[in-house]
Amino acid sequence: MNQNRHKEARQILGRVKRDEFVGRSAELQRLVSHATGSGRLENAGHRDAGRGLLVLLAPPAGVSELLRQAYDELFNNREVVPIYFALPETETTAVSVAIEFLNTFLLQYVAFRRDEPSLCRLSLTLNDLVQLATAADLPWIEDLVEAYNRQRFGRDDRELVRFCLNAPNRVPPHYGRPFIILDAVRLANYSDSPVPLATEIVRSLTFSNLPFALAGLRREVLDAVARAGGNVTSLEVMRLEPLSEEDGRNLVTSAARRHQVVINDETRDLLVQQLEGSPFFMSALLQSAREKNLKLESYLACERLYVDELMGGRLHRYFSSVLEHVAPEPETRAAVVRLLCEAAPTGNRVASIDAWRKRLNLAGVEFEQLLRALHIQELINWDGEMVDAAGASSVWKDYLTSRFRLDALREPRALVVADVMADALKRAPQTVARHYRRAASPRLRALLGQFNLQRVPKRLFDFAEFASVYKGAAPEEVAAGLDADTELLRLPQVFHTASGVSFSPQLRQFGEESSVVAHAFEGLNYTDANEIVWLVAKVDSKLEADRDLTASWLDRLEGLARQSGFLRTQSWLIANEGFSAEATELLREHNAYGSSQQQLEVLSARLSEAAGATQPSEEANEFTLILPMGDDNELLAATTVEQIARRLNFSPEAINQIKTAIVEACINAAEHSLSPDRKIYQRFRVENDKLVITISSRGIVPPNIQGHIEEKRGVQLRPDDNSDEAQQRRGWGLKLIKTLMDEVEFERVDEGTSLRMTKYLRKSA
Amino acid sequence: MGKTLKSNVRSHCVGTTAVVYASDYLNKLTGERIERECKKQLDSGARALVIDFSDTELVNSIGISILLGIIHIAEKNGALVVFSDVNEQTVHLFEMLGLTRHVVLAKDEQEALSRLSTSPAQSQTIGH
Repeated sequence: MNQNRHKEARQILGRVKRDEFVGRSAELQRLVSHATGSGRLENAGHRDAGRGLLVLLAPPAGVSELLRQAYDELFNNREVVPIYFALPETETTAVSVAIEFLNTFLLQYVAFRRDEPSLCRLSLTLNDLVQLATAADLPWIEDLVEAYNRQRFGRDDRELVRFCLNAPNRVPPHYGRPFIILDAVRLANYSDSPVPLATEIVRSLTFSNLPFALAGLRREVLDAVARAGGNVTSLEVMRLEPLSEEDGRNLVTSAARRHQVVINDETRDLLVQQLEGSPFFMSALLQSAREKNLKLESYLACERLYVDELMGGRLHRYFSSVLEHVAPEPETRAAVVRLLCEAAPTGNRVASIDAWRKRLNLAGVEFEQLLRALHIQELINWDGEMVDAAGASSVWKDYLTSRFRLDALREPRALVVADVMADALKRAPQTVARHYRRAASPRLRALLGQFNLQRVPKRLFDFAEFASVYKGAAPEEVAAGLDADTELLRLPQVFHTASGVSFSPQLRQFGEESSVVAHAFEGLNYTDANEIVWLVAKVDSKLEADRDLTASWLDRLEGLARQSGFLRTQSWLIANEGFSAEATELLREHNAYGSSQQQLEVLSARLSEAAGATQPSEEANEFTLILPMGDDNELLAATTVEQIARRLNFSPEAINQIKTAIVEACINAAEHSLSPDRKIYQRFRVENDKLVITISSRGIVPPNIQGHIEEKRGVQLRPDDNSDEAQQRRGWGLKLIKTLMDEVEFERVDEGTSLRMTKYLRKSA
Repeated sequence: MGKTLKSNVRSHCVGTTAVVYASDYLNKLTGERIERECKKQLDSGARALVIDFSDTELVNSIGISILLGIIHIAEKNGALVVFSDVNEQTVHLFEMLGLTRHVVLAKDEQEALSRLSTSPAQSQTIGH
């Protein structure tokens, strides 16, 4: 039962007040819900309450404040006993970590039971804690401490580690259910420990019946769970992504207010963009501004502080500690810096593992440990064979460059500082401008991600055609014209999008957002023949893009396709003001599409509208009916749809047409689908001027139906004596449906078929 | 002429013309019953078939394909086929699927019988 005795937000371990903690509210809520079980399915039962939550973050995202806030909230709402433990910053042994965990656990447990949060901030011995234990807790805590004292003098370190980590399981039932919040961001510091700490932590948590949250670097935590023989799929996962732009702005505003640092909207946006939504970087910079009593009212002030931080402040300390951990030997560290620094600007970011081994001159195990550490910190991507030195934040790259110039090239510090600051200042307006451009224009990747077999006017992909009809036309005229357009293009179903930069580093010079590679399927079948890759690029041109510019982009995209081994591609260029006549000709020669910004925006609006239309609206009246196949059950469907159609005042003739169509659709669904559940799923959606009926079934898609789906084959009106009788009937059924209904379309489903039929209400009919 | 049991297809003969009654829903099952009845009538010497749709509200494509099969069988047997009392919607479907190219449509059973009696083919058949 929730006693709710202390609903006021007492700040216990949190470093900021609850109302000043911004940007991770949803994650905080999820953590708290996970601990209390309130966020899970109602029927999950109590057994499920022991499930763990992995909080996965990409470096250098911070997590400790989120976990501390969760601790405070859980302490205050009194439903579970929160235990927060962070692996120490300074490297120590697994045994000392485990003993410290035991101490922390007992300290926080006693504080909770006594409802004295101030105890959490004290440094107390186990004997002190025995003295402070409540009368009810005294027996088991005494037993625990006695057992610990026996265990600590044993010779088996691993046993001692296990004993300490498993201490929360000794809390008797009904004495409070501990919820372990373990901040393992520094787990990498213990990779050389004789006792495998990561494995022991994962086992103690996952083998326990207690709920827990284990937070750490995503690659490391997932690896640790796998090594410990844990099953990630049995655990819940929460990924901490960089803050959204809005959350980032809120965080900067809140932190600036808290630290009494003067900022303005421009510098706030710059900090969010330049620091890539990292709460750690943003907080570090504002904290430093407070300490130096700086006002951040200009780009210059921001960049000056940024470079200071990079060369000797928090950012510097953070990256230095990462590097020192990755490569403790100075010589190796210098070689790593050189390798990483040289790889980035030349574009040769991917190298074989042998190339790295030669450059670093390291033996097998040591070399692998280094690569693994770099991989965990996401400074490289290592798949066992190749090393990709891309990725990582631009802040890291700035650090790396300065470090390389100072340490390896021995350039004067003043020169490096001046250059880094000059670069940062030159980049600042571009960074913010890029952000504004991104915010102002429909994002290509998001747009392509919406492609899902919709039919759209083909003119939207042909600038010359579009301009010849709609140049100078009002938006309403364009919309009306496109609505009436009969020449349609069926978009593919896009299942994966990535920046073109991910495939071709040379495209980076044009910006991450300028090109997109979208993997897709045309038609409803996931087959080789239907697979296609759309190569899309935004061409930067204030006027109509000319032939040369268009040619250069087509070359880039086609080169990317060749390098990547894409078999079927569709190029699509987008230029703000469209394309010149010569460029249009070139596009046609290459079978490429070309659109203007206006066409792109119209397309985006139409797709969003269509997506919205598929969402149930309050006004929509929707009925669903599930019928077993067979026994003339299609008649029940026909009767149902008749009643619904009458409500819409369809004419008797139209009602008969709808009934016949639905009967045919049901027969199609039932025949040859090998449906495993032998059911027909029907949805009737009543809208103002139409009735939309969807008939679905599970199972396979028969080849002859496939022909209709793909619209590649005609329908036989006359039965062919040599053909299969059932096939003739099927052909007739689909022909009937298409003739009787106004719109007929097969929807994309993973299994079986789904036929959507629309009949419009015509008042005059 | 006596009519068959309710569970089967109703039919009766007028001379060498068999009148077969379709049920309210013409689907695979009821279509095959009609087909069986028509074959039986043809085997018994019927020279013309009237299929009456006065009770039929709904037909499906399988039922229609069976009707087409009946038309072919009748043609092979040199018999004429007339569909009587077909509702407007069903006529539309028959037209759509090309059935009306192979059969005569009559307003009702009487008209069907009367048209058959004046048909040269039927007269010829009857004359044999």
